[in-house]
Amino acid sequence: MSPLSDTFLDRLASAAVEEGLADAVYTTLSTPLGALLVVQGERGVLRIAFEDEPEDATLAGVAAGVGPRIVRSDRELAATRDTLSAYLEGDDDTLGLPVDLSLAHGPFRRAVLDTLHREVQRGEVITYGELAKEAGSPRAVRAVGSACATNPVPIVVPCHRVLPASHKLGNYGGGPARKRALLTLEGAPWRD
Amino acid sequence: MSAAAALPPFWSLVEAHGDELLVHARRMTDDDAAEDVLQDALLRALRAYPRLRHGEHLRAWLYRVTTTTALDLHRKRRHEVPTEEPPAPAVEAEYDDGAFESMIAPLAPTARDALRLRFVEDLDYDRMAAVLGTSPEAARQRVSTAVRTLRERVTA
Repeated sequence: MSPLSDTFLDRLASAAVEEGLADAVYTTLSTPLGALLVVQGERGVLRIAFEDEPEDATLAGVAAGVGPRIVRSDRELAATRDTLSAYLEGDDDTLGLPVDLSLAHGPFRRAVLDTLHREVQRGEVITYGELAKEAGSPRAVRAVGSACATNPVPIVVPCHRVLPASHKLGNYGGGPARKRALLTLEGAPWRD
Repeated sequence: MSAAAALPPFWSLVEAHGDELLVHARRMTDDDAAEDVLQDALLRALRAYPRLRHGEHLRAWLYRVTTTTALDLHRKRRHEVPTEEPPAPAVEAEYDDGAFESMIAPLAPTARDALRLRFVEDLDYDRMAAVLGTSPEAARQRVSTAVRTLRERVTA
């Protein structure tokens, strides 16, 4: 049985995107943080998953959230791939990617992630308490924690910049080693 | 959970079944047209995908869409040959296609498709069942009923 060529698959995916038939497009790329699965919709990046998360389950979650017409294309996501690679390899200081928070659960979590994405820049950190205040609910520290723990778009929505009140490293969905690597890359301060 | 949520990401179907669908498209057309037929079929499938009511029998469904697309190509090619002129061999893939088609023309579309799959595409009943979304027994029935109808017309 002769397998489908990459050329065929590329052509198919591009035709689907051009016709507006794709709910989302995905790609995988290798980075200093390991392989990343990146899923993008028309409005921006919907989902980034680290390599520890099973790809099938991640894509099934995206399908349930935004629709099942999901295609794979490195070519259609070339610009996003280049931007992420340049940032994570330290070649570029900016990560200006639009995000689509459709996969965040509920208005509060979405508001937290949106605030974080807009307001906490490279090189800065914020505590869970401060972020709760910024998002308009100073007492919802624990809910801010779960918003970060379930962040569908890590790296681009910078949950790695959120620290406990002690300013120690704290938790991270992708594991503490990746949080440390990202904060080191960005030259941000934390207490070891 | 809504019904649509049960549909797997479309690309997982392409990765799981794409290779065998290409073989199927080759069998139903020719090497040159097979990739175009399959691309067309998968785009048709993608257009219809969100309207499917459940995520079952998706492989058989993709076979059906590919078959329909290939049959449409055959029909289109036939229409591209003007009847006044001699058939152009480059366009007409099967030289006896015209005779076969006029013989089965009086039958219902489902009967015609069954006969084409059996005698033009040379599929066995198991494969026909996958294409038509029926049991092999039902596929066999369709072919034998159609053949009987043709025989009765000839002897009538």
